[in-house]
Amino acid sequence: MLKSKFKTAGLAVLLTALLAGCSQNNSSSAPTSDDENSPVTFSYYMFSSGKKDTLASETTIGKALQEQTGVDWKLEYLVGDSATKAGVMIASGDYPDVISSSGEMSKLLDAGAYIPLDDLIEEYGPNIKRVYGPYFDKMRNAEDGKIYALPYTANQGEYSGSPNIGGGAFWIQRSVLKEFNYPQITTLDEYFDLIEKYKEKHPTVDGAETIGFVSLAGVANNFFTLQNPAMHLAGYPNDGSVMVDMNTHEAKVVAGTDAQKKWIQKLNEINAKGMLDPESFTMNKDQYLAKLTSGRVLGYFNYGWQIGDASKNLLSAGIDEKRYAALPIVFDEGIKDQYIDPPGFVNNYATGITVNAKDPVRIIKYFDNLLKEENQILVQWGIKDETYSVDEKGRFYFANEDQRKAHDDLELSRKFGFTYFGSDWPRYGGESTLSDGNAYSPGNQPEVASASYTEGDKKFLEAYNIQTFSELFNKPEERPWFPAWSIALEQGSPEQIFTTKSDDLQRKYLPEMILGTPSNFDKLWDAYMAELNKLDKAGYEKNITQVVQDRVAGKW
Amino acid sequence: MEKPNVSLNSLPPALKPKGSKTNSFFKRLVQQRTLAWMCIPFVVWAFIFKYLPLWGWTMAFQNFKPARSFSDQQWVGWHHFRILFEDNTFYRVLRNTLVMSSIKLVLGFVTAITLALLLNELKNVIFKRFVQTVSYLPHFISWVVASSIVLTVLSPDGIINLLLMKLHLIDSPVLWMGKGEYFWGILGATEVWKDVGWNTIIYLAAITAIDPAQYEAAEIDGASRFKRMLYITLPGLKPVIVILLIMNMGSILESGFEPQYLLGNGMNMDYSENLDIFVLKYGLGMGNFSLGTAAGIFKTVVSFIFLFSANYIAKKMGESRLF
Repeated sequence: MLKSKFKTAGLAVLLTALLAGCSQNNSSSAPTSDDENSPVTFSYYMFSSGKKDTLASETTIGKALQEQTGVDWKLEYLVGDSATKAGVMIASGDYPDVISSSGEMSKLLDAGAYIPLDDLIEEYGPNIKRVYGPYFDKMRNAEDGKIYALPYTANQGEYSGSPNIGGGAFWIQRSVLKEFNYPQITTLDEYFDLIEKYKEKHPTVDGAETIGFVSLAGVANNFFTLQNPAMHLAGYPNDGSVMVDMNTHEAKVVAGTDAQKKWIQKLNEINAKGMLDPESFTMNKDQYLAKLTSGRVLGYFNYGWQIGDASKNLLSAGIDEKRYAALPIVFDEGIKDQYIDPPGFVNNYATGITVNAKDPVRIIKYFDNLLKEENQILVQWGIKDETYSVDEKGRFYFANEDQRKAHDDLELSRKFGFTYFGSDWPRYGGESTLSDGNAYSPGNQPEVASASYTEGDKKFLEAYNIQTFSELFNKPEERPWFPAWSIALEQGSPEQIFTTKSDDLQRKYLPEMILGTPSNFDKLWDAYMAELNKLDKAGYEKNITQVVQDRVAGKW
Repeated sequence: MEKPNVSLNSLPPALKPKGSKTNSFFKRLVQQRTLAWMCIPFVVWAFIFKYLPLWGWTMAFQNFKPARSFSDQQWVGWHHFRILFEDNTFYRVLRNTLVMSSIKLVLGFVTAITLALLLNELKNVIFKRFVQTVSYLPHFISWVVASSIVLTVLSPDGIINLLLMKLHLIDSPVLWMGKGEYFWGILGATEVWKDVGWNTIIYLAAITAIDPAQYEAAEIDGASRFKRMLYITLPGLKPVIVILLIMNMGSILESGFEPQYLLGNGMNMDYSENLDIFVLKYGLGMGNFSLGTAAGIFKTVVSFIFLFSANYIAKKMGESRLF
């Protein structure tokens, strides 16, 4: 009898253990705050890719911040497709303590992944208030007026533009420009003519065939690399999938416009001449970046931030002629290029604390501490006399090669932590100025930019009679709604379905049109348009136009 | 061929339980209580992890929003199923799924059985081991790495194009991944390369169970190697083949996910996108979990039908079967 009771009890224990294992751990983590800096490690997930996972304390910056606060971070970065990862994360409810959303904000908000920060900021965030205060209205959630996340574009002080091109541009290998004695080229035809002439002269590079132009259109979430040039060529900045009229503030979908037709037809033309790499549509990002560093590629369109590692590698390889120069190419002379982003505020690329966070108070305190000016200098400039120096006038600069390398060299900047802390955290906007007048981003400090130029850089700048690379580009015009790509579409809404369907359509048709024979182009274009017109384009445009006009009116 | 027909169900009369059915069931239960106790954790496990999640199927009939309580969900009936069946994309991905899993099924069986038969004929043990190891090694490479290898090999300046050019079979490099029509073939070849060795193991194991006396007898009767393969090894493998076939029929709509996802691109989308990717894109990807669940239910129902029909056919044909 006793024996069987024993068994029943054992079974009961087993059952409860099993059941408890499944039930969610909802022992509500009431915001606890111990004032001492007891060591603790939180998890931080970034919906941005290309970085190695690490422990914050393994970097110099992370270590320094840990000494101040006792907080360490397990930093995890996206691998693969972000929409999928977000969906899985939401479906499982398995959130880390903090998430940097990148493009997945609306999904996470919808799922109630973030906690509202208003009270926490009020109580523990004097620095958060100082930095984000002017932007609070643009950060509030449209539904309940609460703040759920801290964006990365809250610019402080005077606007300091970048002397280098970190955004979109048509890039060309410098040897091409050098070969023809640095000609002024502005139109798409001139750009491809130059590449064609160079390719004829130098059909091979190190034994392999020279590649005229390459695109990164094989990777699903990088397909915009092929879509976006159409609007840039027509003289618009990167507003995502639409072009917004400066006067009427009407948004027009780029897909199916004359601009797109002109751009795709041009690619079709150069493909027929054997100048386009057909692998553009099949290779993955690793293969693409490897190609760019091989020296075989003469031209490509891309955004500086997509190819950071490749350009840094080329820079450290030291062969200046194999590096690329950014050009503001447009369709026709007379079109004013708008490659450089106008000052804008992006409210949905942001970081927030999740409902699973163990100790939101400690986290918000860490963020607040991070936003102190001295720590903002730490994450951008590093440690004085170690990774930067200050001259007698109080200007920051790099005194020697080692200091510059600490920022530019991939491995060193990883070790120091610039790679990890430079973005995806609550921070000043990239075009900020510090309270003492220095630029917030080292890259935007004129002293640094000019001192970091290599011999080849100087030769290039001299040839075009300019001081900085961005001088080749037009100044951005004011666009109060900018950027339209930050307009959040509701999950599963008709607008979102339109985006997915039209992207699918373009992923299928654009490569087909480009790689097909030129005589077939018009037929394919008509087929593509017929399919595109079946989708609810008008509804999508109406919706985006509405939001743009709201933003212009000050309603974010 | 005569074979002794001994199965577990045909116990000698003396051991057959007497009395009413339920009575004997409990008697058996008491007799085998230790066994029954040992089963319970696994039954509980199966219930919790395999049956309780079925509750999630209710999502398919709601406009499911995560992080809201069950009573707050909005019920929409068959709405999501209707969306699914009215979508042209759905039929395309369904076709792709069926074709790709059929390719996988047929090719997988044929190659694995052939390899097992051939390996069995090898008398040099070292060489046999070597072949086996080499053929099942790719199974342990992750699909991410495997697909990178495939992409590199098939790229315009990859080894395949180089070879074909040198042999003057083609004039200019073929963009293998850019032609939708090639995708199924590429996928089939990749799957075979990756899994043939692994799938062979079970057949090799089954072959060892065949009575060597049969071979000896056949040899004395003058049967050639090929004849022995055909009339002894293959029939000996038949029960294993049928069981595996039935089990695989149950997953006819599981054409795999990773290879299609990793090898797919805009140009071969029409052929590479399968149900799983569709669910990922329109379900998980857009936060529309209800649609994803609806597609999942559809998949389960189809699999169920296939599994039972295969089993039924096997039964009718007097073959070994699953249940």
